[in-house]
Amino acid sequence: MDPANSTLGRMLLDEITPVVMVLRTPLVEESSQKNQFSFIQMLSPFCNFNNIDVPVRTASDQPYRLKKFKLRLFYASDIRQPNIEVAKERLNQVITDAGEKDLSNLCSEPLQIESVLNSSQNEFLPSWFQYFNKELVRTVSFSEHEAFDHPVTCLLAVSSRDEDPINKFVDLFNINQLPSLLNDGSMDPKMLKHFVLVHDGVEVPLERATKTLAEMRSTFGANCCHLLCINSSKDGSEEHENLWSAYKTDISHGQQLRCFLSSDDLDELKKFVQDLASKHIIPHMEQKIRLLNQQVSATRKGFRNQIKNLWWRKGKEDAPENPAGPTYTFSSIESQIRVLADYAFMLHDYELALSNYRLLSTDYKLDKAWKHYAGVQEMMGLTYFILDQSRKDGEYCMENAFTTYLKIGSSGQRNATRCGLWWVEMLKARDQYKEAASVYFRISGEELLHSAVMLEQASYCYLFSTPPMLRKYGFHLVLSGDLYKKCDQIKHAIRTYKGALSVFKGTTWRHIRDHVHFHIGKWYGFLGIFDVAIKNMLEVLACGHQSKTTQELFLKDFLQIIQQTGKTYEVPKLQLPVINIPSVKVVYEDHRTYASQAAIHVKESLWRSLEEDMIPTLSSKSNWLELQSKMLPKKFKESNICVAGEAIGITIEFKNPLQIPISISGVTLICEHSPAVSEPNANNSIGEQNGETSNKSATSGNFASDTSSFTLSEADVALGEGETVLVQLTVTPRAEGTLKIVGIRWKLSGSLGGFCTFDSDLVRKKVMKGNRKSKQSTFDNLKFLVIKSLPKLEGFIHHLPETVYVGDLRCISLELKNPSKIPVKKLKMKVNPPRFLQIGHKEDLEVQFPACLERKNSRQSSLRSTTDKVSDGIFPFPEDTSIADGTPISWPLWLRAAAPGKISLYLSVYYEMGDISSVMTYRTLRVHFNIEVLPSLDVSFHISPRPSRLREFLVRMDVVNRSSSKGFQVHQLSSVGNEWEISLLEPTKVLPSDFLLAGQAISWFLKLKNCRSVTDQDSASSICPSEKADVNLLSGSEMLFDLYSSPLSEFHHYERVHQRILDQEHEDAVDFILVSRSQSEENERANVFSHHICHRSVRTSSPIWWIIDGPRTVKHDFKEPFYAITLKMIVHNSSDDVVSIRCNPSDSAVNISSSGNTSAASGNEVGWHDLSLSNDIKITPDTPGTRVVKPMSSDTVPPFIWSASSSTHFTLEPLSSRETPMEICVFSPGTFDLSNCSLHWSFSSQSNQRDESRTSSGTCQGHPFYITVLQQD
Amino acid sequence: MASTACFMIVSRNDIPIYEAEVGTAPKKEDAAHQHQFILHAALDIVQDLAWTTSAMFLKSIDRFNDLVVSVYVTAGHTRLMLLHDSRNDDGIKSFFQEVHELYIKILLNPLYLPGSRITSSHFDTKVRALARKYL
Repeated sequence: MDPANSTLGRMLLDEITPVVMVLRTPLVEESSQKNQFSFIQMLSPFCNFNNIDVPVRTASDQPYRLKKFKLRLFYASDIRQPNIEVAKERLNQVITDAGEKDLSNLCSEPLQIESVLNSSQNEFLPSWFQYFNKELVRTVSFSEHEAFDHPVTCLLAVSSRDEDPINKFVDLFNINQLPSLLNDGSMDPKMLKHFVLVHDGVEVPLERATKTLAEMRSTFGANCCHLLCINSSKDGSEEHENLWSAYKTDISHGQQLRCFLSSDDLDELKKFVQDLASKHIIPHMEQKIRLLNQQVSATRKGFRNQIKNLWWRKGKEDAPENPAGPTYTFSSIESQIRVLADYAFMLHDYELALSNYRLLSTDYKLDKAWKHYAGVQEMMGLTYFILDQSRKDGEYCMENAFTTYLKIGSSGQRNATRCGLWWVEMLKARDQYKEAASVYFRISGEELLHSAVMLEQASYCYLFSTPPMLRKYGFHLVLSGDLYKKCDQIKHAIRTYKGALSVFKGTTWRHIRDHVHFHIGKWYGFLGIFDVAIKNMLEVLACGHQSKTTQELFLKDFLQIIQQTGKTYEVPKLQLPVINIPSVKVVYEDHRTYASQAAIHVKESLWRSLEEDMIPTLSSKSNWLELQSKMLPKKFKESNICVAGEAIGITIEFKNPLQIPISISGVTLICEHSPAVSEPNANNSIGEQNGETSNKSATSGNFASDTSSFTLSEADVALGEGETVLVQLTVTPRAEGTLKIVGIRWKLSGSLGGFCTFDSDLVRKKVMKGNRKSKQSTFDNLKFLVIKSLPKLEGFIHHLPETVYVGDLRCISLELKNPSKIPVKKLKMKVNPPRFLQIGHKEDLEVQFPACLERKNSRQSSLRSTTDKVSDGIFPFPEDTSIADGTPISWPLWLRAAAPGKISLYLSVYYEMGDISSVMTYRTLRVHFNIEVLPSLDVSFHISPRPSRLREFLVRMDVVNRSSSKGFQVHQLSSVGNEWEISLLEPTKVLPSDFLLAGQAISWFLKLKNCRSVTDQDSASSICPSEKADVNLLSGSEMLFDLYSSPLSEFHHYERVHQRILDQEHEDAVDFILVSRSQSEENERANVFSHHICHRSVRTSSPIWWIIDGPRTVKHDFKEPFYAITLKMIVHNSSDDVVSIRCNPSDSAVNISSSGNTSAASGNEVGWHDLSLSNDIKITPDTPGTRVVKPMSSDTVPPFIWSASSSTHFTLEPLSSRETPMEICVFSPGTFDLSNCSLHWSFSSQSNQRDESRTSSGTCQGHPFYITVLQQD
Repeated sequence: MASTACFMIVSRNDIPIYEAEVGTAPKKEDAAHQHQFILHAALDIVQDLAWTTSAMFLKSIDRFNDLVVSVYVTAGHTRLMLLHDSRNDDGIKSFFQEVHELYIKILLNPLYLPGSRITSSHFDTKVRALARKYL
């Protein structure tokens, strides 16, 4: 690229050109003002020569031709250093104007970064940058250390109307009026003068002008005088091309100028200026270059001169340091060299210029004239650039100049800026954008506004560098924006931030994103462009990662903007609060209705298993002939059904991501209702249309909520720091049709509305996947078919306690109500778990509890057969039950707390509609409630057979009160079943008070007798329970509870079922029911508690019970040799099989096993066991004549023998007893243990053997039976 | 220890996965975003420099006023970036190497998805301890 054609090249050719100082009389100005120009403005268009084609010779007589040339015209008054304040003011004005101009683009969307990258540099860069830079460069013009702004020529203009023009010319160049720079010696006042007589063609006759011209020629010389005719047009209606538009900023394009300049005038002007340049100025400069060059060569060139120069400068080193550096007048050799170099530069003789600049820079450096030095370095850099050689040197010079300017302090700051700008252009011309950006960054100094502009330009440099450095671009835009903001240039700030936004959009660098969005939003707010402001502010609302104060600031400013708008906004993507859409739960009632919130949250599978048998199965009933399928349009087969007038509930999770509390109000659902369409065929198209419109409205947020067809509930939520809240909302459809829940809307802090659609994400997902299965998403679940209103049962549980103690038995009542006119019928009910809950009878409501449980004297056989009712557990209400018109019916339920813990109880009521025509024929009401069961009495039983009695057991009942505070009154113990009789072993009462207090334990000893017989078994189901099955444990109360009465027996049944699962099944088992009472707190009635202990095993090792019975003490006179004692053996077969029995009274056999048992278990024996007398006998007083016979001694002969039969063999029928006589003979007095008799049994019929576990035969050792024989006196 | 130092790990997709202010200077409210801006902009330089050298530690590659950005690029092009105002190249190099080891340990965790945010508090404590030791 030709350096001269680059931006910098053109800039230099514009700026570093000969200056013409213009001096004119007021009348000249007046004449030109007729055309609304100043004199200079009138001449300016002609000062720019694109092809002047003047032959020039260099100092060394090399000829070349000047092509491009320019003159700069200034009034003498302007030839001075510009006022800094004024310049600053002007620059600020430039920026402000540029900002105002951009207002239209301000609200537009930030560009996509791709389009930014693709756009060319020129269209992207704001055009005012160049103008601004130029103005900035001009603020340091006419400085004393540079020569290119020194006027080369003086143009003196006098009007032909002036009196005595010659004198005027003399007066004009009066030394007093000249610029101070000329007077104080920094500029050469001796310059080429050119005298112009401006002739206003209208007012003064031409003859007078020519006469004056002749006079001038004679006075000043023929060459340098000129007559300039203007305003020859009479009517002032001449039109010209917009020659001046570039020079006169305050006229707009296309505006017609009232111009008195005829085309002849223009030609003359042009010719005048060209002559001035080519015939006067250029030759003058050429000549001066020659002169100076000779002078410089003579004094400075050559080895001798250099040595001399160095020597001379060395001598000056001792001079005191002048902070501003030494001052040079125009006549000093340094200034002369500088003039020479600058003139050479202006005449495009760069080689000459460069060599002189080089020469000069060493001088200045030695002199420590830093400002001059920097100026020379700067020019050297530029010359290198124009010559397009040695880039490195050029850059080095610029760098050197820049730093030197900065070094000399604030006075060099603006020079440094100019130098930097030139440097930047130099780098840009060589595509070194990255370096250019860093130079721009260095230019930005104390002047904030200028720095802002520089930083912005730096950012564009980063953008245009290859590869583009977008992040740097964004960063510098933000930096510049911040500075603009500091200077109150909000519009510029917004513009830069908007550029940054296109880089930072969607960034994961959260602090950056928040900063940019927040500030741009805030500034838009200042400007009153609220919609964009809000849009940006919305981005930063969910700033959980920021500190608390920042969050507060964000939210406060945001709300402030909202308030300023004075409107309520609705925005689609409000991030505050965060809505957890996957958490959305929909609760609606089709044929399933719920009595309470609690019932809704129960798993559907639980209800389904409960209602399994109750509701008509779909598969059997809905075939293609069925009416129902006709009534439901095909389209809605899969959508949900809900009933008009019944609320659909939605639970949504709201989360506050911030550390500050926020308040949400007016949370409602957004719904769409389309009325029912009669034609199923027409449905499709309309449905589609609805879908489309809904999508449209979802994006705009305007939902015409047709309040007539549905009603919505509203909720207000206050979310604390980081809190998550579940919000429940309802929509109640009023009319038939389809209802779609589209989304949710809410208001943040009472001013900003937000809404969120549920389906959008899911729908998009569906499209992307293209999976048909995913159609069954939440989106579909939110569409409802609303059918005609139906009766709906409402259910309440009355008298429901929250906490009960284990065993508590009470009556609660279920109230069913149907507010609708249409009756419901065919009610059925099922409860779960049946161990806790039983359905009572209608009459149970009226009876007094617990009196109803008391045993009546005249007892009918009240034992209901439990089995028939509990088979399926479904309780049908009486046939004629029908509920309507809000008349409640109540039904009793029995509640018994069977086990401690938190218990959930379920109840489902099935009912059918009174009128057949409705779409739904049946519904179910689901009731769910929880109770907490606290532990109360803990009952345990220890049962052991009583050896001395046939089929009797001793029972120890341990009762511990496990409750924390409550006392219980143990009332009654019953054994269940006909075959058992129970009684207290001793009727004493050990309880100090009636109540068993908390933590107390007590034991009772009871006797249990099995009285099962064959006859009993036959009529097991129909007999009345025996009177003796109950024991009243409470003295002073005769009342006994009838445990076979309604609820207790059922509960007992389920308790049996329950406990059977836990225990092994025993055939020989007994169930106990302990009834206790306590005074309840809430009412005077006593609570009844029943404790069911089932399947307590009474099984013994053999099915055979046998005892030996006979006299315990006999007296005999042993004068006779022996005495035969007759005993009897009673054997009972308690099994259901025939048993064959062999009695084997062995003489020698000793009961080793039994004694072994005794000794082994003697430590901590629990329950009932044999006590061997053998230990005790030693303690008994050794009465004379009494001999203890130790049966263990095997070597001794037993002192008695079995006599009657050596072995008895017989068979026993099931459940029968038999007595067998036995006899022993004793030979001496003493106490005899008859336990050595053993009994062998075996089941006679092998076929009856049902299970392997039962042993088929065994041996029973005899129980200890002592017989004492005394000597009869 | 440096009075201002901001350490950051940037994943290969230019997403910050870990950030910590490890300087001794009291935290300023606007420092956080400024540091992010500087580090973010420095990525442009890293992008050019990373491929010109085989060394992982790129030394100080960028500066903003008196803040210097030092970068360490791992083999997986995860960038460990440190913004600091002290000149202690050796310390910074050791710091980077040790943090790199820690980062590799994080990567070995089968439950950590490479490129996701590092939330391990153990990692955080270790990094801060290293910063105290070396910077």
